[in-house]
Amino acid sequence: MSRYPVTWRFLDALEAVAAFLWPRRMHRYTGVLLLVPAVALVGLLVAGLFQMGDSSLRLLDTETFEQSEDYSLANYRDLIEKPTYFTVLWRSTWAAALVTVLTLLLGFPYAYAMVRTRSAWRRKALLVSLFLPFFIGQVVRAYGWLVVLGKTGLVNTLLGTLGLGPFKMIYTFPSLVFGLVQYMLPFAVLLLAPAITAIDEELESASESLGAGGWRTLWHVVLPLARPGLVASAVVVFTLTLTDYAMPVVLGGGTNDFIANAVYDAFFRISDNGLGSALALTLVVFGSTVVAVMLGLLGAGTLGMRGRGNAR
Amino acid sequence: MDKRRPFDRRDFLLGSAAAAATLPFGGLAFAAAPAKPKELVVRVWGGEWKDAIDPGASKSFTANTGIAIRYDETEDNELQPKLWAAIKQKRRPPVHVNWDTTTNATKSALRNMGEDLSDLSNLGGLLPVAKPLGFDKWPLVNVYSYVYVLAYSQTAFPNGAPDSWSVMLDPKYKGRIALYNDGIGFHPAAQVAGGGKVADIPKNMKACWDFIGKLKAQKPLLGEDPDFTNWFQKGEIDLACTIVTNARGAKKNGVKVAWTVPKEGAKMDTDALWVPKGLPANEVYWAKQYVNHALSKEAQQVWCDGLGLPGVNPNITPPADMVGDPAYPTKDEDFKRLIRVPNKIQVENEKEWFGRFKQIMQG
Repeated sequence: MSRYPVTWRFLDALEAVAAFLWPRRMHRYTGVLLLVPAVALVGLLVAGLFQMGDSSLRLLDTETFEQSEDYSLANYRDLIEKPTYFTVLWRSTWAAALVTVLTLLLGFPYAYAMVRTRSAWRRKALLVSLFLPFFIGQVVRAYGWLVVLGKTGLVNTLLGTLGLGPFKMIYTFPSLVFGLVQYMLPFAVLLLAPAITAIDEELESASESLGAGGWRTLWHVVLPLARPGLVASAVVVFTLTLTDYAMPVVLGGGTNDFIANAVYDAFFRISDNGLGSALALTLVVFGSTVVAVMLGLLGAGTLGMRGRGNAR
Repeated sequence: MDKRRPFDRRDFLLGSAAAAATLPFGGLAFAAAPAKPKELVVRVWGGEWKDAIDPGASKSFTANTGIAIRYDETEDNELQPKLWAAIKQKRRPPVHVNWDTTTNATKSALRNMGEDLSDLSNLGGLLPVAKPLGFDKWPLVNVYSYVYVLAYSQTAFPNGAPDSWSVMLDPKYKGRIALYNDGIGFHPAAQVAGGGKVADIPKNMKACWDFIGKLKAQKPLLGEDPDFTNWFQKGEIDLACTIVTNARGAKKNGVKVAWTVPKEGAKMDTDALWVPKGLPANEVYWAKQYVNHALSKEAQQVWCDGLGLPGVNPNITPPADMVGDPAYPTKDEDFKRLIRVPNKIQVENEKEWFGRFKQIMQG
C-alpha cells in the first residue's frame, strides 16, 4: 500500500486536472483568469446600468401603465424642474458630508487608541465594542434608537426623573445624522486602523524627543501619515451615507428622505420605472463625481495605490 | 376546463350531490373541477389584515377543498413590479391571488395583467361597489370598503372627538400628527377642509395643496399602517389620518385611541382581489374559486368582522363595536359624509398628487 497520504494524492489529481484545463503556455494569463469572475459581475452591473439608462428615457403612460416606445428627456427634465429632487439630493449630500466629518472625528481617536494601546485586554474590548453592532444590522439598530430616544424611551424617562422634558429626539434630521454616525463608525475605524498601524511608533517618539508635544506630533506626523486611511474612510462613509435607504425611513419620520428613498418611491409607489431609473443614474453619476473629485484633490496614491515602480 | 359542454342526467346527479356537500361555497362545479394544487399563495397585508382573512376566507376554503393557503406578505407596491415582470416574461407569477388596493389593482388591470373574474357565481347580488368602474368585465373584484378616519388619542381629547380636520393645524399638536407617507386617503379631506369642493377634484386642487402646505408647518410624521399603531402606543402622536382598521386594531390592543368622520367628510375607498395571468389552468380555476368563496356571505361575515369594514355582500351584519359607527356606513346619511374618488381618476393623477405631496413635505 502506498505511503503517499490521501490528501497529497488528491492535490496531485487536482493539479493534473488544472494542468489539463490550463496548460503551461497559458500561465502568463493566470492573472486575467482570476479577474474574470469579478469583471463578469461588474459587467452584469454595467449592463443593468445600460438598461436603466434606456428605461430612464421612456415616459410612463398612465392610460396603460406601460413605458412609452419613444425616447425623451422628460424624466431628467422633471428632476431639474421639480424642487423636491433637488431638496432630497441636497439633504443626502449635506448629511453625507456631516456624517463623514463627525465619523472621522470620532473614529480616529478610537482607531488610534485601539492600535496604540499596550493592553491586550483593552484592545480586545475596543474591537468587540466595535464589531458587536455589525452583528445587529442597520434596521434593528435604527429601531433601537427609536426605543432609546422616543418620547417614552430611556433618555426621556431619565430626564423626567430630573423634572426635564420630554423632548422630541427622533424623526428629525439631527437624529438621522446621529443614527448614521453610529452606523458608519465601525467602517471608519476598520479603515483607519491599518493606516495607523503602518505608522512606525518610533516616529512619534522621535517627534516628541525633539520637543514636539502630543498635539503637534498628531498634527504634523500622525495625521499626514494616516492620510490613506482618512481618505479611504471618507470615501466609504460618504458614499454609503449618500446612498442610504433604511435610516431615513426609520429615523426620518417620512420628511427627511434621501435620494434612495425617492428612487424607491418612483419604482414602487407610482410605478414609474423611467423616473426611478433617471433618479438612480443621477445618484450614480453624482456619487462617482464626488468620489472622483475627492481622489483627484487628494490623489489616488493616498489610498496606497501608485503606478508602476512602486511595488514593494 | 370547458364549462360549456352539454349538460346531461349524469352531470345533474353528480352536481346535486356535490352542491349538497359544498353548500357554503354556493357555486363550485366540483363535478368538473380540475386537479387541485397543494396550495394557493395569497398576497396579504400583515397584522390585523392577515388575522382577518385567515379565519374569514382561507380556513373555510381549505376545510372544504383540502387546498392549503400560504400567505405572501410582500408589500403590495413591491409585489406589483414583480408580478408585471413575471407575466410579461411569461413566467409563473409569485402569487395566485393578490389582495390589493383597488387603485393598484386597477393599474394592473389597465396593463391586462389579471384573469377575467366575470364567471364567478357569487358576483350576482353583490353591492354595486364591488364592480370596478371603467371596465366592461371583472379584471378585479372589490371586496370591502374602508374609510380614512381622523384617529385621535383619547388622552389628548378627553372631551370627545374633534369635529374638523382643521384640528390638525392647532399649534398644540405640532409634531404630533401623522399621515400616510404618500398622502393617500387625505387629499379629498384636505380639499374640503381647505375650502375647496370635491367636484373640483382633480381639475382644481389648490385648496387641498394649500391645506397640506399649512400642515407641513405642523411637522407631521409620515408612515405606513404599522407606524400609526406604534406611534399612538408610544405616545408620539395625538392625531392621524389612517384607515379605520388600524385605529380599531390599536384600540383592541389597549391603546386609548378613537376615531371620527369629521364634518368635512372622509375618503372612502375599496380593496380588491385579483388573479394574475400566467398560472396553469387548474390553478387559475382554484384561485378564482378562492376569490369566489371570499365573496360568499359566510366568508365575508368573518373576514369583514375582523377588519371592522363593510363588505360587498349585502347579507352581512356589522360587528358589535362598529354598529352605528360612521366609518361603517350602512345608511344613506352615513354615505353622505364619505367622499369617493373614482379609481380611474386616482390612477391617472397618482404621480401628480404624489409629487405635489412630496414637494410640500420634503421641502
